[in-house]
Amino acid sequence: MSRANGFEPKILAYVCNWCTYLGADLAGTARLEYPPNVRILRLPCTGRIDANLVVKAFEMGADAVLVSGCHPGDCHYTAGNYHARRRWMFFRALLETIGFDPRRLHFTWISAAEGKKFQQVITEITEQARALGPYRPYEAKPCVERPRPLATPPPAEDFAAAGQELRQTAARLLNEGTVKVVIGHGERGPVFVTRAEDAGNLVWNANCLSNLAVYLKRKEVRELGTPAVVVKGCDERALLMLEKESQLEREGVHVIGMACGGMGRAKCAACDTPRPRFADETIGGERAPRDGDRYAALEPILAMSAEERLSYWTAQFDRCVKCYACRQACPMCYCERCLADKNRPQAIATSAHRMGNFAWHISRAMHLAGRCVGCDECARACPAGIDLRLLNLAVARVAEREFGYRAGMDRDAEPPVGAFAAADKEDFIG
Amino acid sequence: MARIGVFICWCGENIARTVDVARVTAACREMAGVRCAEHYKYMCSDPGQSLVREKIASEKLDGVVVASCSPHMHLKTFRRAAAGAGLNPYLLEMANIREQCSWVHQDRDRATEKATDIVRISVAKVKRDRALTPIRVPVTRRALVIGGGVAGIQASLDVADAGYDVVLVEREPSIGGKMAGLSETFPTLDCSQCILTPRMVEAGQHPRIKLYSYSEVEAVEGFIGNFTVTIRRKARYVDMDKCTGCGECQKVCPLKRNLSEFDFGMGMRPAIYIPFAQAVPAKPVIDKAVCAKIIRNGCGLCEKKCAPGAINFQDEDRLVEEKVGAVVVATGYQLYSIGREQASARLHGYGEYGYGKYKDVIDSLQFERLVSASGPTNGELKRPSDGKTPQSVVFISCVGSRDNAKGLAYCSKICCMYTAKHTMLYKHKVHGGQAHVFYMDIRAGGKNYEEFVRRAIEQDGAMYYRGRVSKVTEENGKLLVRGADTLAGVPVTIEADMVVLAAAMRPADGVEALAQKLNIGYDENGFLLESHPKLRPVETNTAGVLVCGACQAPKDIPESVAQASAAASKVAITFAADELTREPEIAHINEQTCAACFACVRTCPYHAVEKAEIRARSGALIKRTARVNQGLCMGCGTCVAVCPSKSADIEGFTEQEIYAMVEALA
Repeated sequence: MSRANGFEPKILAYVCNWCTYLGADLAGTARLEYPPNVRILRLPCTGRIDANLVVKAFEMGADAVLVSGCHPGDCHYTAGNYHARRRWMFFRALLETIGFDPRRLHFTWISAAEGKKFQQVITEITEQARALGPYRPYEAKPCVERPRPLATPPPAEDFAAAGQELRQTAARLLNEGTVKVVIGHGERGPVFVTRAEDAGNLVWNANCLSNLAVYLKRKEVRELGTPAVVVKGCDERALLMLEKESQLEREGVHVIGMACGGMGRAKCAACDTPRPRFADETIGGERAPRDGDRYAALEPILAMSAEERLSYWTAQFDRCVKCYACRQACPMCYCERCLADKNRPQAIATSAHRMGNFAWHISRAMHLAGRCVGCDECARACPAGIDLRLLNLAVARVAEREFGYRAGMDRDAEPPVGAFAAADKEDFIG
Repeated sequence: MARIGVFICWCGENIARTVDVARVTAACREMAGVRCAEHYKYMCSDPGQSLVREKIASEKLDGVVVASCSPHMHLKTFRRAAAGAGLNPYLLEMANIREQCSWVHQDRDRATEKATDIVRISVAKVKRDRALTPIRVPVTRRALVIGGGVAGIQASLDVADAGYDVVLVEREPSIGGKMAGLSETFPTLDCSQCILTPRMVEAGQHPRIKLYSYSEVEAVEGFIGNFTVTIRRKARYVDMDKCTGCGECQKVCPLKRNLSEFDFGMGMRPAIYIPFAQAVPAKPVIDKAVCAKIIRNGCGLCEKKCAPGAINFQDEDRLVEEKVGAVVVATGYQLYSIGREQASARLHGYGEYGYGKYKDVIDSLQFERLVSASGPTNGELKRPSDGKTPQSVVFISCVGSRDNAKGLAYCSKICCMYTAKHTMLYKHKVHGGQAHVFYMDIRAGGKNYEEFVRRAIEQDGAMYYRGRVSKVTEENGKLLVRGADTLAGVPVTIEADMVVLAAAMRPADGVEALAQKLNIGYDENGFLLESHPKLRPVETNTAGVLVCGACQAPKDIPESVAQASAAASKVAITFAADELTREPEIAHINEQTCAACFACVRTCPYHAVEKAEIRARSGALIKRTARVNQGLCMGCGTCVAVCPSKSADIEGFTEQEIYAMVEALA
């Protein structure tokens, strides 16, 4: 790109084939001049455009990105633009949390008749990008300061009695032959008890943090036969989601619910499912739900300026070594081949450098939009101590505030991503 | 190494004036994988296309980029040219350096630079392009027509006469629709039944038309050329094969005082009834809601009387399946319900007009029955309350139409005309009577339409008042109609014997549910959406599903018939080919990596992604996967965006191609 007259911004426009692309053609036919900084990529529909493509554009040095398609009701494919609009709501919240400059990402509806609008939009975006200067989000200075962790209530439980009952239950289930394996917590991590006499290996204490639902998907566990799984109220939400996403047949699993008064994690402060709701049997009595703000952890982040947020996350992601522990610990990450492991194309760079790390964590959070059950395992598993739950909270908050949806709470509720409403919010679309 | 050829067009001066084509050509020659780059004055001309073809052959090109105008202009042209030289047409891409570059920029240097980038993007893409072949889909040459009104009858007859089988589904006991109940039709005043009933008989007897009356479409699966339709044949309690249509059962039925649906409640019918004399099929049906035998095992007189033994009180709904290649929707309309319960909270009704309260306030379809020779009064105009001949009748237009506040925003289009017709029919029956019309505007666009309205006013003396009616009340046996004459600027009060309300046209009940079964769109009023209002007026966004008649928008008989014939011709076009070919730029699923989360299944606007199972030879389930139905997929790519592992992808816009394009801009 010519730099003869100083800085010339690089604008990338992802446009749909049927409306905006034809709008751009009309601008040409009508000889409506606009700055030559834009490079237009023609795609069938805005429904085809995902967050990864936008991230890729920034990786390639775009100073601004435009996503544009048909006006609501005009989609050539009836609803692609509605689906896109819904996804962008989550994506924008995520980018805001990470500290990407919202002035660099534009959404518009431009019809085939709106050559004039195309001219205006491109001119405005270019002029704005020129005024803002080059966009180098990947060159942000890492900031070492971290938001203060939230104070969390310590566990105050009578673990002993419940533990005893759990061991008896497990022994009974195995003796009866109801299940072939009991997946539970052991002294040093999960245990897979296949014989009644080994039920003593099961423990129930303040260290029983992990979400054991994740093991139900593992091939080697499945081969053991019908499982029983020990879940807390929070873990159980993952079971509901797995069932919803056809990963699990509920009747094929025996669920042992554990009433839990909090394990001292941040999420426990706002726990409203202290007692599993759909378990086959539940150990422990009623526990009082807690009414803390589920999204309180986001406040310190959102209180920062966009630059501070970006430098905060730059510091965080710089520590990421791409070990994918977050992926392994997540009960909702069950793809047979993860996008991060695919190289044709390489949507997410494999090596643990800053760009690839941003792409990975953005991609992961987007994949969990409307799906994350808030079990917090990603953050707990991260050896670099990155508080990944914040990214998930950012998208979960959109699901709850805009669509009244919380993953894993209601068996019949329709997930917000993959659905749309004609009246969805579009105040961010020009 | 790829062997790409780049062909840069001057488009005369159109491109060459602002883009230095020679410089772009030189830059292209430097791009990796580019075997040759040429520029020419008119690439779309014969010599230009020859140049492309020659180079494909001589340089053994395996990919071509033509940098010229918009792909919407010439992609097909150049793909044909490439195919002519033996190159798979999907290995040719266009770089739009005219509409999106030379025509919108002045700075020659920067336009040249941009044009080079645009070509670079296209080169990056064409390298990853895959040779594709159009998808071939077999065609079942058989059409389903839903709705047996005049539009459905016309469409059925046209398709059948073109030589293809038709399945005609009508939910009422007889075909004929609303038109069968009309008295005379504008602007010729020819008798509606005289023109329609021969067509009904023709449709009923046509060897290629299979008629399912008293039946509804239960479910639709499949795609163009290959639909499977489940039809619910509602229990009729009369064996259609045995029944001779003699009508003896109607005579003996003791329960004679049921409001006739065909007469819109103006007349009565027995519990077992043939809806009207000319019905097709002319066989009765038992109203199970009133029949004493069905309700409490009483009566049963009709069964005893029926000589052929056609009555079957044990009859039940039956589901039948039909395979068809195209679907024509002709479900028609209903009138806006004026005073009664409303279909949605948005509609308010017009209680002030006294409809439902005063017997002599009726709607326009009821009036049609009162003046029809086949109607409950045998064509003699008698008002419902006391059977007297009304000496003064007020007609009110736009009841529900063009009213954002209480009714519907749109114009129902036919009311001006039929109201003029009503005044004439009235005048012809009651020579001394006076017709009064309250109207907003008179919309009489159409052949002989305006003349017709003038005749109503000038020859038949109808009084027209431009204004609305505020209230209808009853005093001393007269209906007092209070309105305004806004042209004279005075309030008007008319003592009427009868009031006729020209209620708005709304889509028939249940059309939205049907649209969902067919996966076609409908607007906020429930009218079915055409694919393009100008150029594809009878097609929908689901290939193979067509619309005609008043289910698409309010329209009169000639328009409905014209549209029905248009839909029929689209059906015939679909059936003319041995098999359908579709663009191969559609989605596919990598079943190896699909994790079966089925996000795509939920998201696909066309329900084209299905849940599938991969099983071993032993029958054991190996894995589940999503699978694209090639007949249904339209290639929007929404599935790709929601697929977390990108196991979904679309040909022509693959992940690899798009990323290569973005990376080419680094």
